[in-house]
Amino acid sequence: MSALWKTVAVARKEMRQIGRDRRTLLILLFVPVFFLLVYGYALNFDIRHIRIAVQDNDRSTESRDVISSFVNSGYFDLYGEVPNDEAISRVIDRNQVRAVLIIPARFGRDVAAGHFTRVQLIVDGDNANTATTVVGYVRGLISATSARYEMQAGLGSLQGPLLTVEPRVFYNAELRSTLFLVPGLIAYIAMLTAVVSTALSIVREKEVGTMEQVRMSPIGPVPYILGKTAPYFLVSLVSSMSIVVAAMVLFDMPMRGSWLVLLGVVSLFLVGALAFGLLISSIADTQQVAFQLALLTSFLPTLMLSGFIFPISSMPTFLQVVTHIVPARYFLVALRGIVLKGVGPSVFWSDLLALGIFAVAILGLASLRLRRQWA
Amino acid sequence: MNAIEVRHLTRRFGSFVAVNDVSFDVRAGEIFGFLGSNGAGKSTTIRMLCGLLRPSSGSARVGGIDVMDDPESVKRRIGYMSQRFSLYEKLTVDQNIAFFGGIYGLDAGRLAARRAFVLDMAGLRGRESTLTGALSAGWRQRLALGCAILHEPPIVFLDEPTGGVDPLSRRQFWRLIDDLSRAGVAVLVTTHYLDEAEHCHRVAIIQAGRLAAHGTVKELKAIFASRPILEVRAAEAVAAMRALDAMPEVEKTSIFGTAVHAVLRSSETTPAMIAARLESAGIRPLSCGVVEPSLEDVFLDVAERTAA
Amino acid sequence: MTRLTHVIRKEFLELRQDPRLFGIVIMAPIIQLTMLGYAATTDVRNVPLVVVDQDGSSESRDLVSRFEASQSFMVIDRVSSVRQIDRYLDTGEAWMALTIPADYGERVSEGTPTTIQVVADGTDANSTNVALGYAGALIADYARELAAASGLVAGPPLVSAEVRVWFNPQLESRDFMIPGILALLLLVVTTNLSSMAIVRERELGTLEQLNVTPIARWELILGKMLPYALIGLIDVLLVVVVAVFWFEVPLRGSLTLLLLMCMVYLLTTLGLGLFVSTISSTQQQAMMTASFFFLIPMVFLSGFIFPIENMPAVFQPVTYLIPLRYFLVILRGIFLKGVGLETLWPEALALLGWGVGILTLATLRSSKRLA
Repeated sequence: MSALWKTVAVARKEMRQIGRDRRTLLILLFVPVFFLLVYGYALNFDIRHIRIAVQDNDRSTESRDVISSFVNSGYFDLYGEVPNDEAISRVIDRNQVRAVLIIPARFGRDVAAGHFTRVQLIVDGDNANTATTVVGYVRGLISATSARYEMQAGLGSLQGPLLTVEPRVFYNAELRSTLFLVPGLIAYIAMLTAVVSTALSIVREKEVGTMEQVRMSPIGPVPYILGKTAPYFLVSLVSSMSIVVAAMVLFDMPMRGSWLVLLGVVSLFLVGALAFGLLISSIADTQQVAFQLALLTSFLPTLMLSGFIFPISSMPTFLQVVTHIVPARYFLVALRGIVLKGVGPSVFWSDLLALGIFAVAILGLASLRLRRQWA
Repeated sequence: MNAIEVRHLTRRFGSFVAVNDVSFDVRAGEIFGFLGSNGAGKSTTIRMLCGLLRPSSGSARVGGIDVMDDPESVKRRIGYMSQRFSLYEKLTVDQNIAFFGGIYGLDAGRLAARRAFVLDMAGLRGRESTLTGALSAGWRQRLALGCAILHEPPIVFLDEPTGGVDPLSRRQFWRLIDDLSRAGVAVLVTTHYLDEAEHCHRVAIIQAGRLAAHGTVKELKAIFASRPILEVRAAEAVAAMRALDAMPEVEKTSIFGTAVHAVLRSSETTPAMIAARLESAGIRPLSCGVVEPSLEDVFLDVAERTAA
Repeated sequence: MTRLTHVIRKEFLELRQDPRLFGIVIMAPIIQLTMLGYAATTDVRNVPLVVVDQDGSSESRDLVSRFEASQSFMVIDRVSSVRQIDRYLDTGEAWMALTIPADYGERVSEGTPTTIQVVADGTDANSTNVALGYAGALIADYARELAAASGLVAGPPLVSAEVRVWFNPQLESRDFMIPGILALLLLVVTTNLSSMAIVRERELGTLEQLNVTPIARWELILGKMLPYALIGLIDVLLVVVVAVFWFEVPLRGSLTLLLLMCMVYLLTTLGLGLFVSTISSTQQQAMMTASFFFLIPMVFLSGFIFPIENMPAVFQPVTYLIPLRYFLVILRGIFLKGVGLETLWPEALALLGWGVGILTLATLRSSKRLA
């Protein structure tokens, strides 16, 4: 029996096993798209409907004017009034509002007379990201208000600020964070299914004892390993591509690059992920260990260190170095490049190279270990 | 009162009837064998008797307690050993004994005594700290039996206890079962090794969920009382078999290793007659004589009749 | 020793024989916490910026130096033509490009309003948003200064805002993330371990053996759960120590309350593990089910990273079903806000209810008798 034939035999058995375990099959094929649906809609960093409470100690036209500028901005939802400090503590401690605006008693009079005055903003800092944005919005609103009153009071001869910023956003003009997250989701799900299924399928045979039997047969390690991973490669590939299609249909994710290149990049990434699963299977003896190891070395790094959610440039240097060994990092650059920027390998060739090196290195290491264990 | 009383026990899985109207008794001190091919319903029956599975209908009393009403009390009085020798491979011999002893509520004194007994019985003295997973199948088998009887139950269920074990260990194991039986323990064993079943006092053959035959070994073999079994050895066994099949006096044939067993329709036919027939067909029989029916013959006969 | 103690002891003895698992379970949380503690930041720093200075005057250079001085930006290159921006943005070398028009210096010294263009890579919408905000604020402040210096305005703005950020004045996103990581680690470790532990016994056949013994159902369940609860609590202590002493996350509330709430949370995670074990026949199934149907949704929909208030209104009711949601509020409340049960009682109650509910459901499903 030629090696190819043996590989096919093993692959066919594995596919049959996968097919029989309907739940796992369901999870591998359909759940990713379902996830995309749910998370694509649910997850974003876009901050809306910020609940804000107000303590208006002035109750003048001017103070009401400020409050309505907040409401009309579309960012804030007015929660209500907070009469005293105790009430302020309560609403913030209880997470009922994100921020409290306090307008001092002489606000209207001061503004009309052209005297400097300030409003107070208390922000719940527990979520720094949201807090930063809130502060940014508020400063912007206040400075616009200030400019208006300055004009009215005839202060200065400026018709508006000296410098204005005209922002232009490339690739994602509406700044929909969905578009950012979706490629990440693809990477995440692909990584998870590829690594975990491969690792578990081999370790399970080790645990149950059928591995010994296979070793007795004249199959040989290479056809066995290839045969075992091929079905998972196929399944993960189908799953990943279906997520891309689903993202395009459901979220208007653009596909500005080449489909062929996309297929190639995804395949390269998956090969690396599967190789990683093989490596794990050569280290773990029980499925529990395999799984925990897979979680530790792929689930979490892919989630946290690949640039999926948290920008790498904001991380401390030592961690940025670590991200160089997270394959998902390179995959994301290439994926986003193809899908959102419409560029090709000429631009991200270095990332493709990194993915290739990763795949080859891990495959080499894994096969070395597995072959030794086979003997 | 019998140790085990089973009446019209039935178990369905959807439309599939795994155990179909089975009734039998097992007395104290008796070794009762449950024979059948794989999937015949042996394990299902045992599971019901152990309180692991709820019968669809019928009743069973184990140790005087109704299995449907109070399965938990049943468990206190039985020992069970499964096909897989379910021991904790990552625990040492001693740790497994201590664990099961603790589960059965043995106090320190009694546990010490029983531990000594089991170690001797299994021949594991000196290997108390060995990891169970490191023991070979024969040792694990005996340890599993030991752990099943730590609490000295009057009734023991053994489900295919000799699977995957070498013949020497198997024989040793059956000696242990004999010891148990002599001590008054009722033992219900399932097996598909028919030679082992000869050890049993009484045997039941289960086919497709039904009790196809039931009685002492002698009684079962009596189905061949009027139909002697001829064993024919010849150089060309297959040709001999074909020739025998063609003879009207022969009911059926089967190959047993290098010999052919032919069931004669009547005891009037003699071996000499058959031998002569074979010679005239051009086959030289090396030997041709009546043999004592084995349980295998019985089993095949029963299987055929039930299938019909 | 009671039967229960025997089961617990056996579980630990088995774990001891698998030092790799043991090691992973204790070491992993530390490693993960360290990794995540540093990576999980939504702060925007060192945004790579390329500058197109079409003017080259001292005024334009002054503006650019403001950007260079800022921690939020990192000027990686200066180019002279707008066409060169594309290369930087396409490759991702720069996220933003600042274009200063050719007549900038002139107009500024005359006091004529000028527009500066900022081009941003929108793929990372969140960071871009924040970065644009920083750029805008930087430019606005600079504009103010220039105007004041040339006597065009009276000085400081008429109306300004004094901002006080409670609980986290440095706006460290880490303080928000790390309590969440604690919850996540507990969830991942205890749910998976407990579900796989039971399913493995089923796969190997020892569960059947146990079912034949007089052991009670609750003894079996409790005996299998307690070791993992203990491991979980050890992990909690480890994580709290690292979080407080290494990452300097403030622990303003009561440690006792924290541990108590962790135990309630463990009810839910272990109950979930037990539940998964009753619906899975192999370890692979158990693990897949636990991760995909429970863990991953919990990670994303509980408010761990993505605030619930950002989610479309349609999704928000769903999040009430997720125990992690309540636990995160409790954790952040205890760590950052220093509040106690008097404020957190609704969440604590919800968590307790969830835990008791799932544990009961799972126990009912795990009968010693198969139908």
